[in-house]
Amino acid sequence: MTQDRTEMSEDDDDNSQSPPLDLRSAAIADHCSSSSSSTPNKSRNCMALNSQTFPDHVLENVLENVLQFLDSRCDRNAASLVCKSWWRVEALTRSEVFIGNCYALSPTRLTQRFKRVKSLLLKGKPRFADFNLMPPDWGANFAPWVSTMAKAYPWLEKVDLKRMFVTDDDLALLADSFPGFKELILVCCEGFGTSGIAIVANKCRKLKVLDLIESEVTDDEVDWISCFPEGVTSLESLAFDCVEAPINFEALEGLVGRSPFLKKLRLNRLVSLEELHRLLLGAPQLTSLGTGSFSHDNAPQSEQEPDYAAAFRACKSVVCLSGFRDLMPEYLPSILPVCSNLTSLNFSYANISPDMFKPIIHNCHRLQVFWALDSICDEGLQAVAATCKELRELRIFPFDPREESEGPVSELGLQAISEGCRNLESILYFCQRMTNAAVIAMSENCPELTVFRLCIMGRHRPDHVTGKPMDEGFGAIVKNCKKLTRLAISGLLTDQAFRYMGEHGKLIRTLSVAFAGDSDMALRHVLEGCPRLQKLEIRDSPFGDVALRCGMHRYYNMRFVWMSACPLSKGCCKDVARAMPNLVVEVIGSDDDDDNRDYVETLYMYRSLDGPRNDVPKFVTIL
Amino acid sequence: MDPRNREICPKLLDLIPQGRKWYQEEKINNTDQEKKLELRLGPPGGDEDQSTMKKINIETRNNMKQQQQQQNIKKESEDKSFHCFNGNHFSPSNKTTYVPQKRTAPGPVVGWPPVRSFRKNLASTSSSKLGNESSHGDQINKSDGGEKQVEPKKEGMFVKINMDSVPIGRKVDLNAYNSYEQLSFAVDKLFRGLLAAQRDISGGEGEEKPIIGLLDGKGEFTLTYEDNEGDKMLVGDVPWQMFVSSVKRLRVIKSSEISSSLTFGCSKQEKKIRH
Repeated sequence: MTQDRTEMSEDDDDNSQSPPLDLRSAAIADHCSSSSSSTPNKSRNCMALNSQTFPDHVLENVLENVLQFLDSRCDRNAASLVCKSWWRVEALTRSEVFIGNCYALSPTRLTQRFKRVKSLLLKGKPRFADFNLMPPDWGANFAPWVSTMAKAYPWLEKVDLKRMFVTDDDLALLADSFPGFKELILVCCEGFGTSGIAIVANKCRKLKVLDLIESEVTDDEVDWISCFPEGVTSLESLAFDCVEAPINFEALEGLVGRSPFLKKLRLNRLVSLEELHRLLLGAPQLTSLGTGSFSHDNAPQSEQEPDYAAAFRACKSVVCLSGFRDLMPEYLPSILPVCSNLTSLNFSYANISPDMFKPIIHNCHRLQVFWALDSICDEGLQAVAATCKELRELRIFPFDPREESEGPVSELGLQAISEGCRNLESILYFCQRMTNAAVIAMSENCPELTVFRLCIMGRHRPDHVTGKPMDEGFGAIVKNCKKLTRLAISGLLTDQAFRYMGEHGKLIRTLSVAFAGDSDMALRHVLEGCPRLQKLEIRDSPFGDVALRCGMHRYYNMRFVWMSACPLSKGCCKDVARAMPNLVVEVIGSDDDDDNRDYVETLYMYRSLDGPRNDVPKFVTIL
Repeated sequence: MDPRNREICPKLLDLIPQGRKWYQEEKINNTDQEKKLELRLGPPGGDEDQSTMKKINIETRNNMKQQQQQQNIKKESEDKSFHCFNGNHFSPSNKTTYVPQKRTAPGPVVGWPPVRSFRKNLASTSSSKLGNESSHGDQINKSDGGEKQVEPKKEGMFVKINMDSVPIGRKVDLNAYNSYEQLSFAVDKLFRGLLAAQRDISGGEGEEKPIIGLLDGKGEFTLTYEDNEGDKMLVGDVPWQMFVSSVKRLRVIKSSEISSSLTFGCSKQEKKIRH
């Protein structure tokens, strides 16, 4: 949560419309690599005129100096399409590269086009893989990327991966190949363990950021904290809350003590409250803190209990608070001294009741980002609405994520939030009961919404007051929230909801659909009506071959389409694959599938410049 | 398993009671043949309403395959379609009424609600810290630490489960449960209807009776499993997480068959059942 970019929705990365490395660029790439720079008569536009009057190299130097100020990916992509010269210079000056789908191109293409990359942002598996909808070992291996970049970019400083498979060997190669390496961020990754982390800690002497976020890290029983080198470090951010392995606390205390630039520290569950206390006393300069367990070890409490509130009071700079992994609620009030400074608070691992919660939130006037469990109930949400007028992002997760659970939050909480938090931009809300009225109210009260993700946990559940489908609610969202770019729908939904989406959802980039719709028409509305749609993920919905064919004019302009448990036939998918040679059409099945079966359990398709991947596991068929 | 299925499948189809009101879905492409091969399940004499039937979706990932198959025009006649309970997902748009859903609590579906695995175990770990000794969940976490492989609870953990006298096997996702009680409940839901249907064929009572006493030996059936070393054991003896990490498949056997197969003096602590 400390890294806004990585924690907020994926759309945050590509706010602006950007077809990075799209097929037109590929055409230009091929064209340029075969022609020399001094053939002005091949340039397409006005630059051709200038290049007759100025030597090319002067022009390109000027361009280089200008283009290096361009940061935005979207702007750079646009600049690269102006003409060959601009393409070439842009490629030379782009230092941060974003690749939204690691299989959209090969590592070699990256290194051939961009010569001076210092920072890479790479995303692998599609999001539904997080929910066990994809067998393990599907792919998204970091290995080919790191080995190619090791030779091409010895000056690489930053790697930010999401949903990639990273091994200890990959980390070792990274640590060995990039002497100036500064930032490693691994979000929702797996495949590595504490031994890989230890190597990075030890060899990357300029390391500023080591953030392991929601990743699976195996415990190799290595004391990786002790592997950081002696002496003052450059560490600014250290996040290991997802590492389920005990750490050497004395070593951590020492590390924090010799890291004067450390601003962000996120501890794991195995750091106790007393240990946290000691750390806080030694690092009052922290701005972002993940508290670890927030409970005592099992030993009986010592006679004199540390003054936790005082320790927090000393942390005047903390604006972002998370953790509370095994919260002992009687200690929660110790955070009160920092509440009024907080802009970001994450209680989503803590089972906090409304009574415990209200005194805390009452002080959080500046809160902008708030994550919690539904254990705070509608009552707690009402308290949030009453106090947090600056709230921009809200996420409410279910304490008991089963369809038949009680569900302590409902339309009442949503309504209250919509009335109190008018600046809301992003919401993720899990609940068991909802009404169209509350969703409509939110659409009217919160015009700044860009992300609306409502998960009514019981499948096909209608408005629990009127018994009607949730069509009108979601319809109002797409109609009234003119800035909406990401939408996730749930509850009982007919084709009408999709008609609304196609008609009004003109800016939608990411759409998540589950157990919704009646017929192919629904998907057709969306494919024909949403011109900005980039990421489409659908499960268990009645959309078949007819619907799939309706999108063929769009698939090259999308990052991916995921459809699982939908009535698609292999024949149709093959037709699509044949008609669109630059689209990789993967059919993913489970292990004991028969090749002869015509059904498609999971379809995952994406555009690619370099054809199908060469690391396909046996349960994947590329059509 | 397959050859057995093919033999028995016509008989099993016959057992679908003609007189009862079962879920009937109109599908444009449905031939008689396809209709015969669809296994239907629903509350006897209950609502035929299509929207209610959506609830009778005791699904596992395997089941979804079967539902899709039935949509195909070129449908194969022999398949594991008996796994399938017709979900209402694929009906054409001739539905006109929406009735407030009755909650018939279907079994868990893979990946739903869409919450990442590390958020799912909160109920068993965090709250139990309140004033207690270190919770069971904590101990298990620490003891799992030495393994090189990824902890099983992070992925969908599907194991096959068969029941004596029922020719149809199923699959369960063990990650969806936190305790033996939950698993036992799920087994009941999975097999209750199938067992009743099977009994109907063999001329016994076709009424659905809950399958209870799976864990204590007191019921008509007992839940057993085969572990990663191939040994067959009674379910329930070891801590839940240990069970999840070693189980390879499950079997529901008649309780009467256990006592004759128990062996004593084994090197392992758990009871083994040698067949």
